[in-house]
Amino acid sequence: MDMNENKTNEKVEETRLPDTKEGKLVKALIGKAPYAEGSVRRERRVEFHVPAERIHDFLELASETFEMLMQISVVDWLKEGEFEVVYQLWSVSEGVHAFVRTRIPREDAKLPTVMDIWPVAETYEREAHEFFGIIFKGNPRLGPFLLEPREYEKHPLRKDFNMLSYVKAIYGDDFDRYDESKTNYVI
Amino acid sequence: MTNPEVPKELREEAKGHDMYLHPIAKDTYELFFGPQHMATENFSIILKMDGNRVEKAIVNPGFLHRGFEKLAEQRPYFTNIALLLRICVPESDVPENIYSMAVDEIVGWEVPERAVWIRTTVLEMARLSAWMFWIMGFGNEIGLYTAGQWAAAYRERFMRLFEELTGGRVYHIYTVPGGVRRDIPGDRWLRQLRDTVEYIKSKMKDFDEILFDNYITFERTEGVGVMDRRFALKHAVTGPNLRATGVPYDVRKDDPYYLYPELDFEVPVLKEGDSLARVLVRRYEMEQDLYILEQLLDMGPPSGPYMVQDARLKALPRFKPPKGDAYAHVESTKGDFGAYVVSNGTHKPYRVHVRGPSQSHGVTVLEELLKGARLADVPVILKTLDNCPPDIDR
Repeated sequence: MDMNENKTNEKVEETRLPDTKEGKLVKALIGKAPYAEGSVRRERRVEFHVPAERIHDFLELASETFEMLMQISVVDWLKEGEFEVVYQLWSVSEGVHAFVRTRIPREDAKLPTVMDIWPVAETYEREAHEFFGIIFKGNPRLGPFLLEPREYEKHPLRKDFNMLSYVKAIYGDDFDRYDESKTNYVI
Repeated sequence: MTNPEVPKELREEAKGHDMYLHPIAKDTYELFFGPQHMATENFSIILKMDGNRVEKAIVNPGFLHRGFEKLAEQRPYFTNIALLLRICVPESDVPENIYSMAVDEIVGWEVPERAVWIRTTVLEMARLSAWMFWIMGFGNEIGLYTAGQWAAAYRERFMRLFEELTGGRVYHIYTVPGGVRRDIPGDRWLRQLRDTVEYIKSKMKDFDEILFDNYITFERTEGVGVMDRRFALKHAVTGPNLRATGVPYDVRKDDPYYLYPELDFEVPVLKEGDSLARVLVRRYEMEQDLYILEQLLDMGPPSGPYMVQDARLKALPRFKPPKGDAYAHVESTKGDFGAYVVSNGTHKPYRVHVRGPSQSHGVTVLEELLKGARLADVPVILKTLDNCPPDIDR
């Protein structure tokens, strides 16, 4: 695990990459995109850290090797005040999975859409928008998707969303959701 | 609005018969397809129709959203198994396995050999019972009900085997991080499994005659819902749907896990990319799965423990993996099923994100393939994509 490692020294970077197909793949991609940091996690798993303002350029380059965008995962790091957006890519030709990580501030969560590279990103971005409130500039279909319209803009997968109080407010009168001793409200 | 095609002299006669003045084929209208419709399974599509043709389709999921990813953040690692398996109803072992694989990788556990054998066998059994479930749905959609009823009966055999192994019929709560929850009941169970495999193998000929080599199937599926290789890759189409467009991508071969590197099986590929190709790829895969199960039974379960030996497992609710994250995926009958698990060192996962294959098959791909389709082809396209709404909603 080297999630929090911030070594920008290129020489260190190069010596750390192993002489495998994963190492060569990372090296080739980093050579084209010097703003990104890359590492090999294990066999068939590579990882890139990319600044948010260059994410579209990087993914466009990466899409030549990594043909499929499997998912866009968002992790809410509440203490740091940041969202970590992880683009999960898969290369059919090489058989390698890539995590492309970028971090954006929670208050001003905006990213460019990657619909033009992978049309399937539309669905992933709609989901990330609904659950976390990230705005993907250029995606025309952001809005209520899986949740009910009244739940839109509550962003329930954010860490500061209080699930208990929400359930109590919505369903409190309709359902008995107290435990056996009738003291604690449970989900 | 009058129809210009009705000649002037006939207009007077047509008065009072609105269907002649406003033939339905000339009007566009909105049709709500589902969630009550059998083919859609808790999921609905808003179709903009021009006569019998779909002009535009807007997928409307969310009927099954139960907030599993949020709930998983509130519960200990081992409790989550009973929750996450509900993400895939016909093949509930898949979410169990991807979550367990990801947690195994974060902790760094080497799963014992016996548990690996059991997990592989359970996954293949789940695949076969999911194929039976799919035949049931697909057969019903094209009007071949007999095949569906047979398949439902054969699925029951697997359900009984699962019940004896795990205690559950549909939801097994069996694969846990570090191994499996219980050992194999005994040699009798293995004999029963072999009997079931042989029985279904003998019945494949019947399925061919009534469903896969049937004129009706060919008429209903050939040239319907065509996609090409480039479209499939850009839309993250996986599983049999991708292999029907000529891409030989199978997680069991390309990112091997469990015992699959040691097993001998082929990845069937067809090039046409239409509904018929998707149906036939599934037919060939059923044969391969039966062959894999036979090999596993010939191999026999290795002796040894079925759970990893770790002192931390004595206090399960307070079990804490180290900080880290992992992505694990397996090949399900629907496609590439993946899970991304993030641990921050506490006894609950910090984030669990599941990648269901229907997130692409059931939303963007479906909307594209339905454009221009006949209304009667909508269920055929839905079923040949093997769309499973619970993994869109989660």
